[in-house]
Amino acid sequence: MAKSDDCVHILQGLLVFGNVVIGMCGIALTAECIYFVSSSHGLSPLLKATEDIDINAAAWIGIFVGLALFALSILGIIGVIKASRTLLLVYIILMLITFAFEMASCITAATHQDSLTPELFLKQMLESYQKSEPANNSDNEVTKTWDELMLQNHCCGVQGPSDWQEYTSTFRLTHSDADYPWPRMCCVLNAQRIPVNLDGCKLGVPGYYNSNGCYNAISGPVSTHAWGVAWFGFAILCWTFCVLLGTMFYWSGIEY
Amino acid sequence: TMLPLLLLLLPAAHGIAQLRYAPVLTQEPLEGVTTASTFVLDQPRCVFKDYGNADIWLVVALEQAISTFDNTAGPGTNETAFQSFPDPVRAYLTLNATLANYPCPKPDGEITVLRVGSETSCAQDETRPTCNGPLPGPGPYRAKFLALEGSVPVAETGWSEPIMLRTAKPLSSISTTDSGHSAGMIAITTILSILFAILLAGLVAMLVFWSSDSCGGSSTFSKPESVTVRRYNTHHVYDQPAARL
Repeated sequence: MAKSDDCVHILQGLLVFGNVVIGMCGIALTAECIYFVSSSHGLSPLLKATEDIDINAAAWIGIFVGLALFALSILGIIGVIKASRTLLLVYIILMLITFAFEMASCITAATHQDSLTPELFLKQMLESYQKSEPANNSDNEVTKTWDELMLQNHCCGVQGPSDWQEYTSTFRLTHSDADYPWPRMCCVLNAQRIPVNLDGCKLGVPGYYNSNGCYNAISGPVSTHAWGVAWFGFAILCWTFCVLLGTMFYWSGIEY
Repeated sequence: TMLPLLLLLLPAAHGIAQLRYAPVLTQEPLEGVTTASTFVLDQPRCVFKDYGNADIWLVVALEQAISTFDNTAGPGTNETAFQSFPDPVRAYLTLNATLANYPCPKPDGEITVLRVGSETSCAQDETRPTCNGPLPGPGPYRAKFLALEGSVPVAETGWSEPIMLRTAKPLSSISTTDSGHSAGMIAITTILSILFAILLAGLVAMLVFWSSDSCGGSSTFSKPESVTVRRYNTHHVYDQPAARL
């Protein structure tokens, strides 16, 4: 009957359209995750040192899920146009597996984001920040990262210079409190990286030292990426859910 | 006549002027007013106006030692050497200055402070007993200024309030384990779990539907390549015009 044919054609059209969108989103997800994995925003040593590899794992899963979505969307389009039961069954099952992986990736990215608290970075900084004598260039990765961070962002410590006063640290073992209430990098430096006013810096005179903490500068870039992976993935999954429901309905209506 | 003479001599022997001032931690907004081994006092401007010839010393003492401190103990002796502080020396003299170092009045906008504990180079050097070395513990400490002409004390300020320095908490006390879960993460987890459960239920329903194969009542629609039904003529009714003659 004409009416039923029209409904069929509309449903097919919708499913094809849905699959096209899934394919494009899959490519976009792959691109975003590749960008995230390869982008060096300079904070990777800090994140590696926190022994938290989850965000990278979530991004790697995202790359493969994106490619799988693209391939499966093509399979889905062919299956819908040919109205083949087997093709569509394979499509649905593989899509469910991909859905599960992407779900894991989103939840991992969101959970990881929650774990990047100031306390985590504070503990890592106090344990690992170790300035060797200026003559040596053998600072470890965390120290170099923190130095660059404090220099570029005009900040000191995680919550402020008082971090170095409130807690014991590895830095304190080699640098006396009277000479170095906080590291030299917390002072306002001139072009030669020498404090503009060393006594002013040691006293803590406003204008000669950095009084802000660096937590905002750290958590900003990492946050954006993590939420990008988590929420974009979530959006794709919601759309995929609708398309899969439609496909299941279509499948159950195909005659042999 | 001896008695008035004695009475005259007595005030001369205890001729230390008690100035109505006490050293105080600076009120300037400095981050390092107290650290673990230093503290910052305001300079005694306009306090020692009448003592242009005197050396003004800072006395730093343990809180318990202020009542036993002897003003005649000279600076730089064994009894007041910084290197033997806090045991057995319980108060030491440091930061030698004259009135010229503390001009009066204090110019506006300038930060005029004394950082007690800033000299680390002479902290172990016994040849520098008046070293302004870092303080060895969190305190409490008290301080006062003492003006000496030669070796004779001529004026002193009152003792400051007890000064406590900062103590650093151990690194292990930072707890990184209990980080809460944000609303976003909980939302993502619940919604995705529900969606996945619905899809699984749909898949199970599909498979049950397929295997039971009871597809009589559901609406079915034909495949796109519609099969055309051909009609076959069973009689050739158009074939006999020649028979009519």
